[in-house]
Amino acid sequence: MKRLHFYIIILLTWSMLPFIWQLYTSFCSQEALISPLRTIDNRWTLDNYLRIINADPPFWKYLLNSLVVGTSATLITLIISIPAAYSLTRLKSAFAKSMQLLLLAAALFPYVLLFLALLELARNLNLGNNLLALSIPYSALSTPLAVLLLSSAFRDIPKDLEEAAILDGLNTWQRLKWVLIPLITPSSASTAILVFVFSWNEYPIALTWISRSELITLPVAISRIAGSSVYSVPYGTYAAASVLGSIPLLLIVLIFQKQIISGLTQGAIKG
Amino acid sequence: MIIKKLKLIIIFTLLCFSSIVIGLTDTNKPIEINALMPAPFADSTERLVEQFNQENKGKIHLTVTRGPRETESVSDMAISSMILGNSPIDILLIDVTWLPKYAATGWISPLDEWVNDEDIKSIISGARQGNSYKNREFRWPLVADIGLLYWRKDLMQEPPKTPDALIKISKKLQNEGLVKYGYVWQGRQYEGLSCVYLEVLKGFGGDWLDNSNQFRLDEKSSIKATNWLRELITSEVSPKAVTNFSEPEALQIFETGDSAFMRNWPYAWAELQKPTSSVKDKVGVTTMVADTNQTPTATLGSWGFSILKNSNNKDAAWKAISYLTSEQAQKELFLKYGYTPTKAKLFNDIEMLEMSPILPELEKALQISEPRPKTPIYAQLSDVLQRELSAVLTGQKDPQKAMISAQVSSENILKSAGELRS
Amino acid sequence: MIFLFAPAALFLILVFVLPLIRYCWISVHALSVITNLEMIPNYGANWIRLYNDQRFWQDSFQTIRFTVTSVSLEILFAIAIALLLDQRWRGRGVVRALTILPWALPTTVMALGWRWIFNTPHGPIEQIISLLGFESINILSNPNIAWIATVIGDVWKTTPFIALILLAGLQSIPNDLYEAFRLEGGSSRQALFNITIPLLKQYLLIGILFRTAQAFGVFDLIQIMTGGGPASSTESLALYAYLNAMRFLDFGYSATIMLGSFILLVFSCLLAWLIFNQIKKIQL
Repeated sequence: MKRLHFYIIILLTWSMLPFIWQLYTSFCSQEALISPLRTIDNRWTLDNYLRIINADPPFWKYLLNSLVVGTSATLITLIISIPAAYSLTRLKSAFAKSMQLLLLAAALFPYVLLFLALLELARNLNLGNNLLALSIPYSALSTPLAVLLLSSAFRDIPKDLEEAAILDGLNTWQRLKWVLIPLITPSSASTAILVFVFSWNEYPIALTWISRSELITLPVAISRIAGSSVYSVPYGTYAAASVLGSIPLLLIVLIFQKQIISGLTQGAIKG
Repeated sequence: MIIKKLKLIIIFTLLCFSSIVIGLTDTNKPIEINALMPAPFADSTERLVEQFNQENKGKIHLTVTRGPRETESVSDMAISSMILGNSPIDILLIDVTWLPKYAATGWISPLDEWVNDEDIKSIISGARQGNSYKNREFRWPLVADIGLLYWRKDLMQEPPKTPDALIKISKKLQNEGLVKYGYVWQGRQYEGLSCVYLEVLKGFGGDWLDNSNQFRLDEKSSIKATNWLRELITSEVSPKAVTNFSEPEALQIFETGDSAFMRNWPYAWAELQKPTSSVKDKVGVTTMVADTNQTPTATLGSWGFSILKNSNNKDAAWKAISYLTSEQAQKELFLKYGYTPTKAKLFNDIEMLEMSPILPELEKALQISEPRPKTPIYAQLSDVLQRELSAVLTGQKDPQKAMISAQVSSENILKSAGELRS
Repeated sequence: MIFLFAPAALFLILVFVLPLIRYCWISVHALSVITNLEMIPNYGANWIRLYNDQRFWQDSFQTIRFTVTSVSLEILFAIAIALLLDQRWRGRGVVRALTILPWALPTTVMALGWRWIFNTPHGPIEQIISLLGFESINILSNPNIAWIATVIGDVWKTTPFIALILLAGLQSIPNDLYEAFRLEGGSSRQALFNITIPLLKQYLLIGILFRTAQAFGVFDLIQIMTGGGPASSTESLALYAYLNAMRFLDFGYSATIMLGSFILLVFSCLLAWLIFNQIKKIQL
């Protein structure tokens, strides 16, 4: 038992220490930052937080923007991926197999390499400076992984269940709506969280697609926090912003951690 | 349960979106213009912008988009918004090195219509550079920036004039235990390193890209300059960590009194006068050291406004620019934020001279200021130089070898650029 | 049935297929600030330049070095974390959530945090070193060490993701297997190598594949932590491609680098796959 506790403490230290350092930095005054381990007067301050909260536009606006993009991207991904995943499990196996490989390749693609082409896409389709339009690349980029995860969830549903539904006279759409989708709820939830976290954190596309300050998302907003000049890096204020910005995610992870894990358990892994 | 939650989320999302749409469609009568600036400039010009909008109520309304703090990210953002086309930006605050690039791509429009010779003469000579491309003005300067040598008045009578003197004084002070380091500067692999190098290079009588479009990086003077920078580190006059320093790291060290000298821009002066600084009132400012028989040089940084080609309200945009760069505005920016003015007149302003003893030094530095190579492919050239210098400073490469390879790479870049053009 | 797949297919074509075709097209043209952003066919000159570009090959090496080191460390740590989190103890839920947290935070934010932590001389690590009386190691300014710092940042952030996948795998292993093994007198260490790891293989493969691809495209972490320096020792292929597009406005060459890295990635993945299969055979 003692050994177990020891390991747990090591694990927590490893994953929390950098974060705790951010927390500590966020409460430090400018001069305290320079000598972090020595005792000095006036170490503690709330200035960093006040600066963020009093900024214009206010900080919650960015949280809201990220929330809007995150939820819409998540919804679009689910709406597109659930039927696609279902069809993959019901289609002829040769097609499904090759599709699955392609999806895997797409899911593995380092998306940063696509930003230039995506930028051109935004120009041609006039998608710049539109929060909801931002969810198009996000959901498109998450679709491959989502389809893979969901299709294996569908595969886990016993065939008899669907056959019974067919006998009851339900058409494809009704079967999906009343029988199948409720059954894959845990997988959908975990997929949703994966997509949400991705959209919440994405930087290069958000930076290049949006230039109106009232529409930017959280990571971009944090990169715009400024010190007193172009040259100074306001580490304290950054730290405060990252603490405030991670509270929503901390809550999500605390509330949904069961779904995240159980969804993955059913997961795509059989592909 | 989940479906219910989802429904709530959908409704919520729609609500958010509709409020945004309503917010956007609520159009006012005045001409709307938008300026993109790096965040710190957006902050410091906030009051001026408000004032401008007051004075032009009902006619022009200027809004400011805060760019990222990091200047290169501002450029990324500006470039992407220009690639996107149909950008909401009319005015762009740009760095001196971006100008040829933006002008060559045709993203910004020349200012001939609004700027005449008289206007140009109102600007102090140093700041007149770096605003034009192919003999046409493309940018109107807001703030000048020049590389300066900060020195500790409490540790020495006079600042050093030559590279050797700088090392000698540093070593003496270090040996006496008065300071931990002699000299801190910007040695990280980024644009600041090119700025540092240009000053030293010129100080040793060398040049980067000369007037006849020849690179001179493999010459004796360039290698000497590179050697000197390396020597600063090997002789422990500069900390080893200097190879990852940008401006704030250097300032942090100097501010705590750990260093005798610092290379930095004028903004550092205001920071050093804050009550939290341990060297308040102990700092002098001068120009960079130069070898005997050579004149010292200050790398010209500087920010100025350009009007985007696609802007529909260029006249209104110019009105805003001339307001933000007026003598009154520059005076305010100098007194409040220490921004070096660009209008010649202001350098004799009594109120400003009283406020800041370094104004004459800034003027002197501006007179010897030197822009970095003015070419659309500057970013590539600077990148090559930074890589090689960084390799020397971290002891990976011999100075001579590095400079020869910088020369060859630069020539290749220019050559392939020239080939394409013909 | 196929119409159900159509919207997804459309999406995939839009963001994966079209961009790749577009890159192929751009990569055989000169398209840069020098051509006034007009496309001029240059008949493979970009590809010749890529082949002769030492920097591309150096960055390839560095990217692969980064990928291999961080993915193997991540796998090792992830196995340990998953085994720990799979056991039953009080407060497991909270610890699990806290463990996942690094993965859920924006890279851009934590990269700045890391830059501050590795700062010389004000960061905590250097401070502790100097308090202990050792000589400063200049983490981010030493070309031999800086890349390790970026690996640490990456491992910290993404280990939880693999750990999650492995945890899912562990929970799918029936307990009876272990009990049977114990009844036959096997120790728990033997159980680890005889039951757990072999049954986790699929999950490990997924984790490795995903992380390899992501690590190969590492971008924001490096841009913020080191900007590619010192002496370009941390520059990754994605960063090089990005620089060419956004800083140098050389879109033709940038597209070529992106395609080149993609080809390299496919090759490395195939190689990894072959090695993995080879190992499998040996054990059978």
